[in-house]
Amino acid sequence: MLDKIMKTRLFAWIDERTGAEAIIKSQLTEYPVPKNLNYMWNFGSLALLVLVLQILTGVFLAMYYKPSAALTMGGYTVAFDSVERIMRDVNFGWLIRYMHAVGASAFFVVVYMHIGRGLYYGSYKGPRELLWIIGVVILLIMQGAAFFGYLLPWGQMSFWGATVITNLFGALPVLGEYLQQLLRGGFAVGDPTLNRFFSLHYLFPLLLAAIVGGHVHALHVVHSNNPEGIDVHSDAERINFHPYYTVKDAFGVGIFLTLYCYVIFFNPQMGGYFIEVDNYVPANNLQTPPHIAPVWYLTPWYTILRSFESKLLGVLMMGASLAILFLLPFLDRSKVRSARYRPVFKQMVILFFVCVIVLGYCGHSAPTPTLKLVGQIATTYYFLFFFALLILPKFEKTKPVPDHI
Amino acid sequence: MTDQADQSRRNFLYVAAGGMGAVAAGATVVPFIGSMFPAADTLAAAKTEFDVATVEAGQLVVIQWQGKPVFVVNRTEEYLKEVDGHDAMLKDPNSEAIEAVTAEWMTPENRKYRSIKPEYLIVVASCTHLGCIPLFKPTAGRKEWGESVPEDWPGGWHCPCHGSLYDISARVINGSPAPHNLHVMPYKYLTDTKVVIG
Repeated sequence: MLDKIMKTRLFAWIDERTGAEAIIKSQLTEYPVPKNLNYMWNFGSLALLVLVLQILTGVFLAMYYKPSAALTMGGYTVAFDSVERIMRDVNFGWLIRYMHAVGASAFFVVVYMHIGRGLYYGSYKGPRELLWIIGVVILLIMQGAAFFGYLLPWGQMSFWGATVITNLFGALPVLGEYLQQLLRGGFAVGDPTLNRFFSLHYLFPLLLAAIVGGHVHALHVVHSNNPEGIDVHSDAERINFHPYYTVKDAFGVGIFLTLYCYVIFFNPQMGGYFIEVDNYVPANNLQTPPHIAPVWYLTPWYTILRSFESKLLGVLMMGASLAILFLLPFLDRSKVRSARYRPVFKQMVILFFVCVIVLGYCGHSAPTPTLKLVGQIATTYYFLFFFALLILPKFEKTKPVPDHI
Repeated sequence: MTDQADQSRRNFLYVAAGGMGAVAAGATVVPFIGSMFPAADTLAAAKTEFDVATVEAGQLVVIQWQGKPVFVVNRTEEYLKEVDGHDAMLKDPNSEAIEAVTAEWMTPENRKYRSIKPEYLIVVASCTHLGCIPLFKPTAGRKEWGESVPEDWPGGWHCPCHGSLYDISARVINGSPAPHNLHVMPYKYLTDTKVVIG
């Protein structure tokens, strides 16, 4: 199909002026990929798909959404009412909004799987250190975009979530108060905050799109890792991305879209996990909801924050828990990449995944002394994991790595 | 298994997969484009009620219908006389080109008044050239309006944007850039003076 198009005169005309054929060949039809990638390698292309869906649905929602905290005749706010208008009056507005809200959670499911795969198979190790670091930048921008977006419906969770998170910055010494006012555009979360969060919620995905381009470019320079975690030397170990992995990715897309559509059409709030119930109550700056927690994808870091008695220490450790991801390629000096050949690392990394899920569970639940202790233990292991990697290669007996795949 | 690929089978799969993909993509486009059409609350505001008794004799009132300006004029005896005698100056004296109103009231005698009740003219106030709101210059001649209207001005509207001229029944005058008479929208009288537009 593609080769037929590439033989047309129109394509030749474009090729002369852009070098399109060379790009398509080097990046797609003759781009070499290890032949043994498993389904864990599907999540990169899925993340790209969700990013496109989020941008597309977001552009259409912005045609009707109004970022204003001004009161309406009905006693609500312009922003809250505009979201309800999208749900009730705009043609297919309910569908596009649910695609966007469910898409946010789907984005994190896919990206967390993608990161987990990178951890398990050692994809962060040389020569892919920068590829990993760009990926961590993408994660941070995603979390920022999700946080900004969550304020927009101007419900109770929107308002109090933004209040809590902007208060975090207030914990920093000296500059804290100014930073907080800078973020809010006032002394409390209010109309100026809503306006700037909408602006930033539109900006961040554009940054994401650009940085994702850099991520893919970096990948295509150093090429894909593989489940064995070994370097690929001969052509017999590689296959072309197109058609082999385009077809495999398309199959993954089919499965993903099935699940995605199921949630959108049958369970868009996912029992309060994807859209929190309290967010259907309009924002009230004089009353905090009885139980306040971030959306599930931010709860692990929320637990780390809550695990420390000192407010400043909690904020710093939460920042550190994300910042340490940047250092991972330099902390882990083992020559062997894949957990398949690192028996101790394998158990450590699986325990790390469990620990992040436990952190997430604790962050989503109302605080109790038991859960606080569990959260503190999980937080300890979270950091211990990274520092243990520093000394692990000194005593870990790795299994023999195969010469080729 | 042979080394030779079964090309016809492969082509069938290409077309089948591509066809299904195209159907799915097309189905996805529907809600997105659909969302850009007027929302339910916008459509619900598509009718406007108005009491023409609030318009004084000789007065022009601009009201809104679907977000568009609408002229309601209470034409005096004097204005109604201006309707006749200049058919030669008009592009379309009987509004045959555009009159969407096929209502019963649009009788041959009524065509020159272009309204259910001759005294109350109700038309969309957007110039049919490029949509500006024409200025109301109801008296005949240049006495009040100077050079902005021709010497044989029968009385009517003058569009400030590109100089289109309409008579007192909002019929476009020859030489104007506007192609059509101002539109008459569907409307009806609920009571003696209450009108519902749309």
